[in-house]
Amino acid sequence: MQIFPPTPPLPVFPPCLSPGDKLCSVEDCIPGTGVYLRHGYIYSSLAGYVLRKNEGEELPVISVVRETETQLLPDVGAIVTCKVTSINPRFAKVHILYVGSTPLKDRFRGTIRKEDVRATEKDKVETYKSFRPGDIVLAKVISLGDVQSNYLLTTAENELGVVVAHSESGAQMVPISWCEMQCPRTHSKEFRKVARVQPEYLQA
Amino acid sequence: MAAGFKTAEPLEYHRSFLKENCRPDGRELSEFRTTTLNIGSISTADGSALVKVGNTTVICGIKAELTNPTVEAPGKGYIVPNVDLPPLCSSRFRPGPPSEQAQAASQFVADVIESSEVIQTEDLCIERGKLCWVLYCDLMCLDYDGNLLDACTIALLAALKNTKLPEVTISTETPEVNLAKTRGLHIHKHPVSASFCVFDDSILIVDPTAEEESLKTAQLTVVTDEEDRLCTVHKPGGTSLSGEKLQECISRATARQREIQKLIDKVTRSVKTAQ
Amino acid sequence: MPRNSGIILSSRCVSGGDIERRTSSHAAVWFITFPCAMPTDNKRVRGPEVSQSPSLFLCEPAGALPSHGPRADGRQRDQVDVRPVFVRCGLVSQAKGSAYIEAGNTKLMCCVYGPRETERKDETDMKCGRLTTDMRFAPFSCPERGSWIQGSQDKDLSLMLHESLQPAVCLHKYPRSQIEVNVMVLENSGSVLAHAVTCASLALADAGIEMYDLVLGCSIRQDGTSYVVDPTYTEENRCSSVSSENQGGLTVAFLPSLNQISGLQSDGEMAEETLTAGVRTCIEGCYKLYPVIQQALAKAVRKAAPPPSES
Repeated sequence: MQIFPPTPPLPVFPPCLSPGDKLCSVEDCIPGTGVYLRHGYIYSSLAGYVLRKNEGEELPVISVVRETETQLLPDVGAIVTCKVTSINPRFAKVHILYVGSTPLKDRFRGTIRKEDVRATEKDKVETYKSFRPGDIVLAKVISLGDVQSNYLLTTAENELGVVVAHSESGAQMVPISWCEMQCPRTHSKEFRKVARVQPEYLQA
Repeated sequence: MAAGFKTAEPLEYHRSFLKENCRPDGRELSEFRTTTLNIGSISTADGSALVKVGNTTVICGIKAELTNPTVEAPGKGYIVPNVDLPPLCSSRFRPGPPSEQAQAASQFVADVIESSEVIQTEDLCIERGKLCWVLYCDLMCLDYDGNLLDACTIALLAALKNTKLPEVTISTETPEVNLAKTRGLHIHKHPVSASFCVFDDSILIVDPTAEEESLKTAQLTVVTDEEDRLCTVHKPGGTSLSGEKLQECISRATARQREIQKLIDKVTRSVKTAQ
Repeated sequence: MPRNSGIILSSRCVSGGDIERRTSSHAAVWFITFPCAMPTDNKRVRGPEVSQSPSLFLCEPAGALPSHGPRADGRQRDQVDVRPVFVRCGLVSQAKGSAYIEAGNTKLMCCVYGPRETERKDETDMKCGRLTTDMRFAPFSCPERGSWIQGSQDKDLSLMLHESLQPAVCLHKYPRSQIEVNVMVLENSGSVLAHAVTCASLALADAGIEMYDLVLGCSIRQDGTSYVVDPTYTEENRCSSVSSENQGGLTVAFLPSLNQISGLQSDGEMAEETLTAGVRTCIEGCYKLYPVIQQALAKAVRKAAPPPSES
C-alpha cells in the first residue's frame, strides 16, 4: 500500500543509521554486511555505523556495522569453541560457546559423531578415549543438521580437538602427544583427541 | 582473553578474583551494588515503587480492593504478595505458571510481611466482619541479575509507604468510596533484607549477581527491622555456616537496614516536595 | 497458624488476615479432598476468593467525556496530536536488546532474546528463523486490577504484535533459531498495541537483529464525525456521542522507510472513507514518531561503541 511517495535519499549519511535507511544505489557501491538490496538501492538492515571500504575493486564495499559483538550464528565451515556436555559410544554432545572469537549469548547444541573425531583409523575411534564431559574442544561445523539433529561438528584435523581438559584429580592437564594428556599433579595419563594448538588460538 | 576464560571456566574465573578479595565487577566481598529507588511512578496503582540493585530491577505495584473479612478473623484485612519472574527479565525463565523460584520468593515475601508486622492487618479493616481492604502487592522482576529477595523487600516496603487508600464510608448497606480523601498506610516496622552467598564452602559474599548465585554453595538471607530485631533468616539448604559467620551476616544486615531506610525516607520526601 | 476443619476451609480457603500457606502439607491435602468451586491456583499466594475494585462504589461517578473542544489532557481533537514520547534503549542487562517507551502515562517495556536454538523444530525452521512474541499486562497496569494469568486479550495482542513485526525482520538470516520478543505493559493509558509495536521494533534494532525497516505504531479513536489520535485509556473505553455511526478504533503498524503497512487492526463500525482517512491519519502520526525513535536508536548505538575509524 503506497500512500506517500518514498522519502528522497539523504545526500550525507547520518553518523548512526537505523534499519530501513537508504544508503545509495547499487551503481555506487557493492553491498557488504548489515545491508540489503531493494529496487536497485542499498538499504541498512542494522542500527549502526556506515563503513565504506575500497578493496582494490572499482566500487567500494558499503556495510553497516555495530561495534558490539555482531550477531553470529554457527555456519558451515566455522571454527567453534565448545564444551563437552555428555558422551556415549556413538557421539559426544557439546555446547557451542564461541564462533571464531565471538562469544554466543545463548547456548547452541552440537554433536560430534564418532566418525568425525579424527581423519584416520575412523573405525578404531572410541569416544571415551577422545573426550570427557567438561573438556573445551575446538571443532569445525560440517552441517547445520536436519530437523532432528543439532549442528554436526568435526575434529578430524590436527588443529582441532581438546584444548583444555581436567584430570580426575581436578588439575588442568598438559598435552604430551596428539592422543594423550598428563595431569601435572598425579602424573597420570589420560586419552584425548588433542588439538595441536596454533598460536592464533592460544589466547582463546 | 578474559571473556573466554569466563565462559569456559566460570568457577575458576571467580576464584581467581576472590583470591584477591575482590569480585569480577570490582566490588569488595561485603559491598552491595548501587541501589536506586523510584516511588509512585505507576498512576494506575494505589502505591508503587521501582528498585534497582545493580542491574536487578523489581517493580512493585499495589492495588487495593474491597472484600469481606473471614469469619475466623472479622477484624482483619488481607495482604497478598506475589513475585513474578516473567520471561522478559532473563532468558532463564520460561513463560507459563510461576516457576519454583517465583513461588519460593512469593512465600518468602509473605513470611517477611507476617513476621515483621510491617503492616498490621487490623489497619485494613473498614467495618468489623463486613468490609475490609485487600492489598494485592505484585512484584515484577524486569531485569534479573541476582539477589531477587533484597530487591523485592525494598520494593515492597517503598510501595507500601507510597500507598494511599481512599476513604470509605458505609451508608445503609453499600459502601461509598471518596477518592478525594485518601490516607496513607501506617507502617509499623521497616524490614530490610540482606542476602549473602557462600562460595567454595567458606567465602562469604554479599549481594550476589546472577552469575555468582549460579556458582554458590549456599545462600542466606537475613531480614532485620529498625530496632535491629531479626524478622526472618532464610537459608535454603547448602553448606553449613558457622555461628561466627552468621553473626557477621546479621551485623551486615542491620547496617544495610539503616542505609535502605535512609534511602526510602529520602526518596519519599523528595516525592512529597515535588508534588 | 491455627487450622480449622476441612469443611470451613472448603468454603473459604483463607483464614482471616493470614495468607494461605502453600508449604503446609496439610493444606495441600485439604485442597484435594475439598476442592473449591474455582480451580485453585496453588502456585501463588492467594487472597480472598472475591474482591471488588473501589471504583465500583464511587460516591460521584465520573461524567461522560465531552465530544468537542480540547481533550482532557489539553491535546486537540481532529488533529495528528500524538503524546510526546520518551524512549530509551538497552535498559535490561540480561536481554540481547531492550527498549522502554513512555507516552503520557502509557509505560511499556520490551526485551528481545535470541537468536537462540528453537524449542520446537519443524521443517520450516530449517531455512528461516522464527519470531515469537509475548505481550503481557502487569496486574497493576490498568485501572481495574488484572489477573495473573494471561487472558485472551493478551494473547490476541501478542498475535497482532507478531503479525506487525514479522514482515520487517530478516528471518532468513537466522536459520534454525528463534527470536523472542517480550512486551510488558507497566501502565496502560491507552494505545497500548501501537506503542508496543514501536517499542518492540526498537528493541529488535537494539538487539542487532537485521530488519528491513523499523516498525512504528499509531492508533486513533473515531467518535462520530470527530476523531482523537493516540487515545488515552478513558478515551478508548468511554463513548461520548450518542450516534452509533462511525464509532471505532484503529491501530496501524507502519514501515516508514519502505512506506508499507505491516499491521492494521480495527474494531467498531466505520464507513469506508472514514477508515481510509483514519489510516492516513495514523501514518501521519507514525511519521511524527519516526525522528524520535531514530534518535533513541542512534544514542544507543553511540553508547555501545564509538564510531569506527574510516579506513
